[in-house]
Amino acid sequence: MSHWSDTLPVPSGQRRDQVPRDHSIYPQLLEITLHLRQAMREHFVQLTSRQGLSLEERKHTQAIREKEALLSCLIRRMINLLQSEAASDLELQVPLPSEDSRGDVRYGERAQLSGQPDPVPQLSDCEAAFVSRDLSNRGIDISVFYQSSFQDYNAYQKDKYHKDKNTLGFINLGTSENKLCMDLITERLQERDMNCIEDALLQYPDWRGQPFLREEVARFLTYYCRAPTQLDPENVVVLNGCCSVFSALAMVLCDPGEAFLVPAPFYGGFAFSSRLYAKVELIPVYLESEVTVTNTQPFQLTVDKLEEALLEARFEGKKVRGLVLINPQNPVGDIYSPDSLMKYLEFAKRYNLHVIIDEIYMLSVFDESITFHSVLSMKSLPDRNRTHVIWGTSKDFGISGFRFGALYTHNKEVVSAVSAFGYLHSISGIAQHKLCQLLQNTEWIDKVYLPTNCYRLREAHKYITAKLKALEIPFHNSSSGLYVWINLKKYLDPCTFEEERLLYCRFLDNKLLLSRGKAYMCKEPGWFCLIFADELPRLKLAMRRFCDVLQEQKEALIVKQLEDAMRE
Amino acid sequence: MFTLPQKDFSAPTTCLGPACMQDLGSSHGDDLEGECSRKLDQKLPELPGVGDSAMFSPDTSYLSSRGRMIKWFWDSAEEGYRTYHMDEYDENKNPSGIINLGVSENKLCFDLLSWRLSQSDMQRVEPSLLQYADWRGHLFLREEVAKFLSFYCKSPAPLRPENVVVLNGGASLFSALATVLCEAGEAFLIPTPYYGAITQHVCLYGNVRLACVYLDSEVTGLDTRPFQLTVEKLEMALREAHSEGVKVKGLILINPQNPLGDIYSPEELQEYLVFAKRHKLHVIVDEVYMLSVFEESVGYCSVLSLERLPDPQRTHVMWATSKDFGMSGLRFGTLYTENQDVATAVASLCRYHGLSGLVQYQMAQLLRDRDWINQVYLPENHARLKAAHTYVSEELRALGIPFLSRGAGFFIWVDLRKYLPKATFEEEMLLWRRFLDNKVLLSFGKAFECKEPGWFRFVFSDQAHRLCLGMQRVRQVLAGKSQVAEDPPPSQSQEPSDQCR
Repeated sequence: MSHWSDTLPVPSGQRRDQVPRDHSIYPQLLEITLHLRQAMREHFVQLTSRQGLSLEERKHTQAIREKEALLSCLIRRMINLLQSEAASDLELQVPLPSEDSRGDVRYGERAQLSGQPDPVPQLSDCEAAFVSRDLSNRGIDISVFYQSSFQDYNAYQKDKYHKDKNTLGFINLGTSENKLCMDLITERLQERDMNCIEDALLQYPDWRGQPFLREEVARFLTYYCRAPTQLDPENVVVLNGCCSVFSALAMVLCDPGEAFLVPAPFYGGFAFSSRLYAKVELIPVYLESEVTVTNTQPFQLTVDKLEEALLEARFEGKKVRGLVLINPQNPVGDIYSPDSLMKYLEFAKRYNLHVIIDEIYMLSVFDESITFHSVLSMKSLPDRNRTHVIWGTSKDFGISGFRFGALYTHNKEVVSAVSAFGYLHSISGIAQHKLCQLLQNTEWIDKVYLPTNCYRLREAHKYITAKLKALEIPFHNSSSGLYVWINLKKYLDPCTFEEERLLYCRFLDNKLLLSRGKAYMCKEPGWFCLIFADELPRLKLAMRRFCDVLQEQKEALIVKQLEDAMRE
Repeated sequence: MFTLPQKDFSAPTTCLGPACMQDLGSSHGDDLEGECSRKLDQKLPELPGVGDSAMFSPDTSYLSSRGRMIKWFWDSAEEGYRTYHMDEYDENKNPSGIINLGVSENKLCFDLLSWRLSQSDMQRVEPSLLQYADWRGHLFLREEVAKFLSFYCKSPAPLRPENVVVLNGGASLFSALATVLCEAGEAFLIPTPYYGAITQHVCLYGNVRLACVYLDSEVTGLDTRPFQLTVEKLEMALREAHSEGVKVKGLILINPQNPLGDIYSPEELQEYLVFAKRHKLHVIVDEVYMLSVFEESVGYCSVLSLERLPDPQRTHVMWATSKDFGMSGLRFGTLYTENQDVATAVASLCRYHGLSGLVQYQMAQLLRDRDWINQVYLPENHARLKAAHTYVSEELRALGIPFLSRGAGFFIWVDLRKYLPKATFEEEMLLWRRFLDNKVLLSFGKAFECKEPGWFRFVFSDQAHRLCLGMQRVRQVLAGKSQVAEDPPPSQSQEPSDQCR
């Protein structure tokens, strides 16, 4: 491919004869390659973004996209190679853009190779990357990955809907937050027992979490997870959020480039926590919506699928260290039965895999006919030294701004290693006291908070699902969590991730923030996640905007089909 | 210099030499664990990449290679934590317990702070404080921080809230900066002795190491004071790092310095910054003790007060409430940088270093209360620090012990070299051990990567009764020890096999 660089002009301001003889050619080659890639991208965008294509042409487009994916893969490899050479040059003047700097971690690449270019973790924001002369490659990668994913969220933060002050602002049904019980929790946090300033709270803490809080967490989990025996505070590590716990676990269980299996679709936040600091790959175990002979439920997780994904990953030379399960599942809302849970754990044991179980929605099961079974309620775990449970207050108590997450594991090695991260993920002593008081008051939780919370979740869920039914939009989840997983495939033509993105943008244009399936690594385009745990007036307005967008989309589709028909 | 890995190892996190490993945790609280753990017989494990990794039992471990090393960080600390906490001094309950003069915490003003934090304005709870917010920190807090720093750092122009990032402590900030400024295996220059916990902070996630600029206690040639940092020394250390194939990305300065209590003059600061600019190095200036300058005659100059920074895009300032407001358990730290790329990159990591919204609100209230800070807190805090400092320094003078301290920080850097029968770190450790056996916890120089054995850090910012008892115990040990020194035993202990120098 080297002839490419010969045929392209050298970027402005860098004439060959001006390059000092001892100066490495790699940075220059790199820059040329980046320009080349940019040119190629633009070319392909032109090729594939024409409107009103016939079926034939669309097939052709698909083929072009596949070619593009292949080429961009090759170019990326070339860039990585050049970059590593260029980086070894100490006198390097050219700032290096991020080109998936770790090489060994590739997010969403499968999806890209299957012909669906998507901007989520696009390394492509190379303009941004070029600007920064001061960051390390991984710093650029972190920054670009994060900012590109949270661009819309930041827009929302700056222009939030307010019923009096900003009626045209964004409504956010895309971030999983429970805003239904703010009154209860605000009142509770203002009670006298919450305010305590002791010397010990202002001094350096036990980095695993203050003993009083770890004891309380152990007691709390024993009670609410129905543990057969008392849980041990020594097995608890308390950090500032579940994402911190996940990040620390990924560090201590995997070396860079190693991987976890995760049934997909799954909560997109894991993609950050595994990548930003820890550089661990998440390998999706793709689940399907269609019900078939083997797939008795939509998005059903089976041991066969786990096994297949594991073997495939191993075949590709990947080192899989664990399995990540979310229970109740986010975004599908499934609750694993004790039997299936046991099967997954046994599968993991068979292959010496760690299992990280995220039970962050365990108290948000609002359908009374359904019982949630925590992994901690099991009489005996197949592999207790490799089973690690995460829980936090963000969802179940609707206090995501409080920053609290806990790890429970029987494995002392893991406890110690994760504790070392206490320095970097510590919680204020004052906040630790409040959390302890909050968790301690079982009476308030059982008699006031949980019943009210479940009732309000149920009502909001009822409202939103009635709307969806009226629109004939299929959805999943009727029992737990703060979200419904909805299928908008019928509004996409063709049904691609690109169209999914366009629809997402259409919602955004109408000041409605949703999450789309791609962010959950869903295999099938067209799925969206809708968070319903919001106050009714806001929810109503959001649904009005939602309907408007779909109406618009529908009309656009009809016009398009008519045009196609006329042409034929 | 520091030790480099002899061979490549699968875990890139493991490139520190034993020297660096040994001193993790030496102030900001981790020193508590660090110092307590220093048992003489505790053999440091050889690290993967340095030698045999069998210590980490890779075959039986549930952890990854880097996980095993991370665990080692904790275990060595955890052990010490237990030692101290199992036998903590308490006036009534455990009068023969260990007195802690090792951790750099200000325990003199809890009364003032408890009072302030219990005021009704602190108890606000509202939904926006309980929900996800801007990961850089709530805007109201960043605005307060910008105003606060403008005022106390005497910045020539008002500082801007968009240059502020709020995190849960200085440790997190070191971690985030190391990660976004350096690739794995790259390094920061740092003058020694330095607050040793930084080693761990930049290593855990970032896998970044520290390249030491070793300073001497002796005043010779151009140096006008002990442990003086000069540009020549910086240049030399940088060259040396390069010659060892280590890429240096920045320079860390602590001002007021920990453990020396030294303060850089504006001219010195300027020279260091120009040096950094010349080599395109980032400069992280840790000013966590900036308001703990209790000697009025000492003119402290924040880097933010400089009329013009040589390289503003590569100058990053840290501050926190741990020291200046004596609240190490509160976990509040902040970055100030004009470089938006750096601010944005650090903010991208902030979801892992977030601070409770309620605490953010309290911090904003605290920082905004300029009257209380200026009229009550700072004068009282400085008076108490000064009194405690006077007491300990007079005790030391009476004992004829040389020490360094220029009126800033919570500590005195004490020269106990004459009490070592032989100038080795093993002897330093023995002496430290003797202090601990006599129930007083100190920090030894090795934990600060000091080049010369025999230096100790005494933290004086504690209540008088504890301080008196602590110094009494120190005297006892030194009285016994000095006799030994005059009459050395025939068989000297062995030189420790310290590969790093």
